[in-house]
Amino acid sequence: MTLLVQTVILGLLVGGVYALMSSGFSLVFGVMRIINLAHGAMIVLAAFLTWWVWDRTGLDPLLIGVLVTPVMYGVGWLLYKTVVARVHKADHELAMVATFGVAIAAGGVMSLIWGTEVRSATPGYFNTSIELGSLVIPRAQLYAFVGALAILGALYALLRGTFLGRAIRASSTNRDSAALVGVDVERTMAQMFAIGAATTGFGGAALSVIYQFVPDSHYVWIGRILCVVILGGLGSLLGAALGAAILGLGEALTASYIDTRWATAVPYVLIIAILLIRPQGILGGRLRTDGVHP
Amino acid sequence: MSPNVRLSRAVAGTAAAALLALISACGLSAEEPDAQAAPSTEPIVIGMSLPLSGPVADRAKPGMEGYQYWVDELNAQGGLLGRKVELKVLDDSFDQQTAINDYTRLISQDKVDLLLGTFSSDLNVAVAPVAERYKYAYVQPSGGADEIFARNFKYLFFAQPATTQKLPDRFVDLIAAMPAAERPKTLALVQLDDPNTTQAADLFGERLGKLGVKTVYDKTYAPDTANFDTIANAIKQAKPDLVINGSIAGDGVSLIRSFQKIGFSPQQLYQLNTPTDPGFPKAIGASNTEGIFTYLAWSPEATYPSNTGFVAGYTKQFGAAPSEDAANSYTAGQVLATAVKAVGKLDQTAIADWLHQNKVDTIVGPLGWDATGRPQGDMLLGQFQGGKIKIVGPESAATSKDILFVKPGWK
Repeated sequence: MTLLVQTVILGLLVGGVYALMSSGFSLVFGVMRIINLAHGAMIVLAAFLTWWVWDRTGLDPLLIGVLVTPVMYGVGWLLYKTVVARVHKADHELAMVATFGVAIAAGGVMSLIWGTEVRSATPGYFNTSIELGSLVIPRAQLYAFVGALAILGALYALLRGTFLGRAIRASSTNRDSAALVGVDVERTMAQMFAIGAATTGFGGAALSVIYQFVPDSHYVWIGRILCVVILGGLGSLLGAALGAAILGLGEALTASYIDTRWATAVPYVLIIAILLIRPQGILGGRLRTDGVHP
Repeated sequence: MSPNVRLSRAVAGTAAAALLALISACGLSAEEPDAQAAPSTEPIVIGMSLPLSGPVADRAKPGMEGYQYWVDELNAQGGLLGRKVELKVLDDSFDQQTAINDYTRLISQDKVDLLLGTFSSDLNVAVAPVAERYKYAYVQPSGGADEIFARNFKYLFFAQPATTQKLPDRFVDLIAAMPAAERPKTLALVQLDDPNTTQAADLFGERLGKLGVKTVYDKTYAPDTANFDTIANAIKQAKPDLVINGSIAGDGVSLIRSFQKIGFSPQQLYQLNTPTDPGFPKAIGASNTEGIFTYLAWSPEATYPSNTGFVAGYTKQFGAAPSEDAANSYTAGQVLATAVKAVGKLDQTAIADWLHQNKVDTIVGPLGWDATGRPQGDMLLGQFQGGKIKIVGPESAATSKDILFVKPGWK
């Protein structure tokens, strides 16, 4: 029984980390219809920046993550202006290919700057846990889980409650009409993309503490992020949270009860399953195929 | 289509075919002259493909440095056969198919003079057939799994004292020497999916089983596993006295960290490969290394003739003492260089024959091979004591008389 409960706890905590990583991607994917395959690389970049500052100053990595967030906002803005905006106008799917290229290039650049050694940040709590009887809750994962909730909540509030949020939703529903009512569509899109990138700041900091990473780690993470978003459904933050929980639980339960070797296949099995059963994702609405495309 | 277009297409097609034929003819005829002519001032090129990026990059780096140091030392002493030696290094990112393509390219297109082996059993098992097919002597520093040597290759040589088959010997002997009441009762085997580690796990399970140690957990994990918490938790629930982790690189560190998080410290922990990485004490905390067992091919304190010079020279060039990976690469270089010098020419078959008939003095002692390339020596058993690895077996090579039979808990 303890094995089951502990496995579920670990699975949910890992799910929290996945939700943290995927939140920005889900937003950009769902609201702007842009598949940013460089998202994983941005997380790894944020992880490197966090590790680099931690290595030199000894500040808490999760706090450094808060500082790295505006840096990643800038990186996202730059990426949008130089690559995504240009290709998105020509062809929607091209943004996916272009950002994948950026991801590969970023991996190479990070190898040149920081080398290929395995890195991770090890603050005092990185390998300690809170004990509840015979159950343990690893601290680093718990902090990342709390951070994930905070970020998802903030993004939701942004989309629903602010003018920027309404402008974003308007621009993605119908670009031309949004422009007619006075929304600066280009600027709004750039801001949305940059906000999506900014979430990788804290996500990368969490990565640096919980896992070890190398410049090529982004391949591992983008696969999981895609699974979470496809599972949960387009444009739904709650869906991303749900998808992340399912993936985390799926991996944990598979590793404990089926076979450890199958644990790394779980994201892909889930993608295939959801596409067969319910292609729009658990909480995704059906896409309108009539009407004007954004 | 108009007749003009059809005609011009036919002309273009014929011209293209003729051009292709011409190019391949040039390629083919170029093979003859190189074999006959012996430009004695041109450098000897040694080709290799290493996993410099990807999951084992942190272990490939000291391995590469070992090769680098060997080549620099060789050139400083006059090179090989009076010629300078150059390394041609490709990066396969720890992918078998890329490694195969790389070595095929090095041999058939770049026509390198000699080869040196890559790192890990996983890559070597794929590359060895390539070298064998092209009849190139293949001395490799780091693939010990039995399946590499099970194919009766004549050109394959392993530059460590023993293959994976003999890896468990020292540790099993240690357990056997303990009084039955004090031996660990239960065993957990957890290993990465690699020919070396899975074979070692099977051997450990079988041989310790005969000593009355029951296996309560035996699982293999994929190389790209990032999260070990659930695995660590499952092991904790199984309550083993002894954990043997067949790790390759960073996965060993991740597992130990997960053990720390989950709050589980086994009475005895034996880890393959990972503990000999220079960054290991820093990665898990120097005080946490106390009592961890591992195996080594090489000991920095061994008094073989070339060893002291190697340790001193390497430390001077790289500013840090050499590690097991660097030593393995250096040994491979030593073996190849000795054979080439003895034979006196770059004749792959003569080199392979000479190695089968002779022993080579290296930093891990005299190495000799059987007909399939298996070395005939024994590995060393090491244990972390006071933050450093000490050799605790065999007695003749031991640098510490004490053995910690119970590992302290995590700090």
